[in-house]
Amino acid sequence: MADRAIKLLVIGESGVGKSSLIRRFVENKFDDNHDVTIGMDFKSKVMNVDGIDYKVALWDTAGAERFRSLTPSFYRKALGAILVYDITNRDSLVKLEAWLAELDSYSDNPNIAIIVVGNKIDQERLVDREEGRKFARKHRALFIETSAKCDQFVSDVFKDIVEKIVSSEYFNNGNGSAGLDIASDRNLEESASTCYC
Amino acid sequence: MTMDELLNEVVPQEDLERFEKKYHHELELDGEVTTETKFEYAFCLVRSRYTNDIRKGIMILEELARTHPDGRRDYIYYLAFGNARIKEYTSGLKYCRAFLDIESNDQVRSLEQYIQKQSDLEVAKGMAVAGGAALVLGGILGLGIAMARK
Repeated sequence: MADRAIKLLVIGESGVGKSSLIRRFVENKFDDNHDVTIGMDFKSKVMNVDGIDYKVALWDTAGAERFRSLTPSFYRKALGAILVYDITNRDSLVKLEAWLAELDSYSDNPNIAIIVVGNKIDQERLVDREEGRKFARKHRALFIETSAKCDQFVSDVFKDIVEKIVSSEYFNNGNGSAGLDIASDRNLEESASTCYC
Repeated sequence: MTMDELLNEVVPQEDLERFEKKYHHELELDGEVTTETKFEYAFCLVRSRYTNDIRKGIMILEELARTHPDGRRDYIYYLAFGNARIKEYTSGLKYCRAFLDIESNDQVRSLEQYIQKQSDLEVAKGMAVAGGAALVLGGILGLGIAMARK
């Protein structure tokens, strides 16, 4: 019953709703308060695709500037990246170029799957759907618009990218080194806490 | 489960070395280290697999929390995080609560709940050990009494 693990990154500017998308997807909750993510956070969920269970590990990164230089190691071994912008904020789409550059320079997976997500469709839009789609197409990424608040198309984000990853010709070849190995580094001085029995 | 994985994620050695070098470089060149570099180094240290590194990271973060109020929420979170990793649950909880007193945050709340649970487990384990010791002691005493009677 070895889990097949898929590491996904969620990146984008501060306040676009990265954590909210994850929270809606994993816990089906939404909070109107904007809890600013510190450094990075992690949540996981088992997804079934074509009868196979995959453990999807979601790494949520702080959009805040001061963590930029610190997060390169989190790009490693990722099979997919979810790039989020806010459709009420054009700058957050423009800035995705920089996030993509970041992804390019730090990712160790040349075939990383990418989905561009325009969040907050429950609010008044300032960025046309077509603009987001064009950006995604230019970078050969998937594209979707969502509302984490109203739970619109949130699960499709994860379904689309995971399906793309598992159907990729690279997935099964590369998976031994790229995907399965989430728990290998877990011996945090375990010897100190051996069983008392 | 989820929190275990977050806490068990170890900083890559090259990251730690890179920021360590930067830290010492500034120290030697200027006699002092910028807040940014201190934080980068501490952020790596508290995610090291070695307790001594984590303790060093905690010391740097404590200093930053005192001297640089602007970044305090980041420092306090990683103070809680580092303390949780070396099983200093009392300190870990103290930092979580200090954070939550100022700002509501789901991430910190999850960490607080995790530390509380680990701490409760530790107490339960301690009681089991004490209980076991009492049983053994009782057995020895009983045996002693039985022997003395013979």
